[in-house]
Amino acid sequence: MPEKILIVDDEPSIIVPLQFLMEQNGYAVLVAFSGEEAMETIGMHHPDLVLLDIMLPVIDGFEVCQRVRENPEFNDIRIILLTAVGSEANIAKGMGLGADAYITKPFSNSEVIGKVKELLEPRV
Amino acid sequence: MNRIKTFWLFVAVTVGFMLMVIATLAWLFWQQLQPEAQRYLIELTRQNLVYLFTAAVVLLAGLGFGIDWLFRLYILPLDKITEETRLIHSVNPSHRIHLEGSEDVVRLAEAINESAERYEALHRNVHQKIENARAETEEEKRILSVVMAELPEGILICNTEGRILLYNRRVRELLAEDAGNNGYRENEPSGYVGLGRSVFSVIDKHLVVHALDEIAEKLERGETDAASYFVVISRYQRMLKVEAVPVLNHLREFTGFILILNDVTRQLESDTRLDGLLRSLRRGTRSSLASIRAAIEAIIDFPQMDSEHLQKFKEIIHKESINIGRLVENTTADYAAQLRSRWPLIQMMARDVVEAVYRKADEKLETRIQVLRCDSDSWIQADSYSLISAIVFLLQKLRQRTECRRFDCLLTCNGRFVKFDFVWAGKPVPMETLKGWEEHRIDLKDESLPLTLKEVIGHHDGELWSHKYDDGRAYLRLLLPRIETGEATRIRELAILPKSRPEFFDFDLFNQPGQTPEIDNRPLTEMTFTVFDTETTGLDPRGGDEIISIGAMRIVNGRLLHNETFDQLVDPGRDVPPESTRVHGITTEMLQGQPTLAKVLPQFFRFAEETVLVAHNAAFDMRMLQLKESGTGVRFTNPVLDTLLLSAVVHPGHKNHDVEQIAARLGVSIVGRHTALGDAIATGEIFLKLLPLLEQQGITTLREARAACRKTYYSRLKY
Repeated sequence: MPEKILIVDDEPSIIVPLQFLMEQNGYAVLVAFSGEEAMETIGMHHPDLVLLDIMLPVIDGFEVCQRVRENPEFNDIRIILLTAVGSEANIAKGMGLGADAYITKPFSNSEVIGKVKELLEPRV
Repeated sequence: MNRIKTFWLFVAVTVGFMLMVIATLAWLFWQQLQPEAQRYLIELTRQNLVYLFTAAVVLLAGLGFGIDWLFRLYILPLDKITEETRLIHSVNPSHRIHLEGSEDVVRLAEAINESAERYEALHRNVHQKIENARAETEEEKRILSVVMAELPEGILICNTEGRILLYNRRVRELLAEDAGNNGYRENEPSGYVGLGRSVFSVIDKHLVVHALDEIAEKLERGETDAASYFVVISRYQRMLKVEAVPVLNHLREFTGFILILNDVTRQLESDTRLDGLLRSLRRGTRSSLASIRAAIEAIIDFPQMDSEHLQKFKEIIHKESINIGRLVENTTADYAAQLRSRWPLIQMMARDVVEAVYRKADEKLETRIQVLRCDSDSWIQADSYSLISAIVFLLQKLRQRTECRRFDCLLTCNGRFVKFDFVWAGKPVPMETLKGWEEHRIDLKDESLPLTLKEVIGHHDGELWSHKYDDGRAYLRLLLPRIETGEATRIRELAILPKSRPEFFDFDLFNQPGQTPEIDNRPLTEMTFTVFDTETTGLDPRGGDEIISIGAMRIVNGRLLHNETFDQLVDPGRDVPPESTRVHGITTEMLQGQPTLAKVLPQFFRFAEETVLVAHNAAFDMRMLQLKESGTGVRFTNPVLDTLLLSAVVHPGHKNHDVEQIAARLGVSIVGRHTALGDAIATGEIFLKLLPLLEQQGITTLREARAACRKTYYSRLKY
């Protein structure tokens, strides 16, 4: 059974190519356009990894990350933050809230796939 | 008046002594007489009793008059001579002794007057020399004070205890004085900037102490830049950046510090806006670039991609590249708008613009401008360089189009606008051509501006068009708003050297110990005083009369500080009787809209905090103040001195101690009598003249001055 990846971004322009990329690499892709939608999808489908944009309306990426980490059930979900702000403080905050990795926009597709594969490798 | 008592005591003692001598002699004589002789004498006395009694009365009266004559002609005048001679050689060399008395005493007075003439001449001479010698230093001090006053930064110089030794006008603007507007609260900074006042009354003590600690550490480490920085928020929510710099003596010991205040509110706002612009640009471009890159890399990495996906990705790339373009465009426009908001305009005369255009057109374009009409006194607000360049640029375009080498110029004023018309024989410039020109960057021979003609004209709120006059000649018109010269944005005042020594600084305070409540034993000459006066609706504080005006001025280190005044009318909540208005000229109408005493009293309390109050006939003013204390939260516990009583201490020989009489005696000229501030100033000058006279009597401290006052006759007068 393919591993499930949830892509969260309010911009369809970034979701479409990312979804294509993940599917081409054999992952099952879920999509959410807001923080609320992301929380709902996580609860229902329990993805293995979340590609999470920070700048989301209402509930932002930081909050989603925090809520996921508060729930022990979701301990095994990997989170990669996507940030366009790119300040060191911003990244430190995301990592502090429990994200596993971050990628600064713009990124190369190989960078994303590399990070995803690395995080989804079975843990020893 | 103890002299009268002394006189009668003297008479009584003299008469008593004489009676005693006569009685003793009579008794001795009586003892020697035979009984018959005694009887005969009794009989003789009985028969001539009337004559004997009359002779005794006449003798006694003659004696009395003699003593009185002696006293009035010799003793009293001598006493007065002593007093007035002191006056001459201490405070008023122009004073002369005028008295009635015996010829000898009058001659003595004349001799002293002659000496006084010489003394005065000598005094004047010495004074002149001192003045000349001082003039040079004063000049430098004046220049310093003018420079200080004109600095855009606020400057505060303090001694080690935080007492202010020097400040400039800007400090007062930055640390606006609205003390007491919200009533009085204990331990709250007073908000007054003044010589000798504590800097902690305007800037939080903790901030200053922290800065000083930091400076001390830096000095210890031997750093050359020992300044420390902090930010304070003023009462009007201005953000002030403060630079603290130490003042060291030749031994590198800390003797004080300088605080340099800069209002950074606008700069911060502007920086924040620019920073925000930059952030949103960065975020936006990154997001769009991420989409583009993800899409294009997918296309490259998966060449066999189905056509539906390929189409989608192409659309994403197209859409996001447009997004980036728009973002860059908008940010640039916002940035330019930000820059423009910092682009200052200053007042200038329209004819100066024409003159500059005339010169520049001649130099850059070899084009002649003939000024046909020039309104001489219209003012505009302009950034002169960009405006003049823009007009010359227009002339360049006009010359290229019309091939004219000469233009007539008419500068006219039409109500709220100033018109710059450039005239030639030919057709007007079509609107679309002008619009084209407006989009061009201003570019002259070897000068260019990063601004378009439209931006420059827009920034000046101007309009540009071309049309023709009735006589058929075409013109190009630039219309700019005309301003009243009074409505200047903050233009620097002319730096004029003041005639007398300005009172913004007093370096003598460097050596002054701290002012504490235990001030009773401190020399009067070292103390800070607030001389004040009140005007009232009448003379009966208990009978409902109210304060309608308070005027006050500070005395620091023996100088009246004319720049540190308190002058406030008060709404008494009742009518001012016409008979009071006749004295001080204040009418009921003048007081409408003025603050009430409940508001003014705390302000005055803060103004006078930590000082000794001085007033003429202080008992009256103090009673007035103290009756109104309740409900305002303040209590005037300051020590009080009274110039009326002090004058009586110094000149017990004079009966009259009203302001005019004392002023005349001490050589003080009064300006603005019967206004609270005018009277306060007169009182202050009188007080300063009284200080050396008190010193001659050995009265040098506050305790001694108050004790002397208490003793004088006038202090028994109670309101």
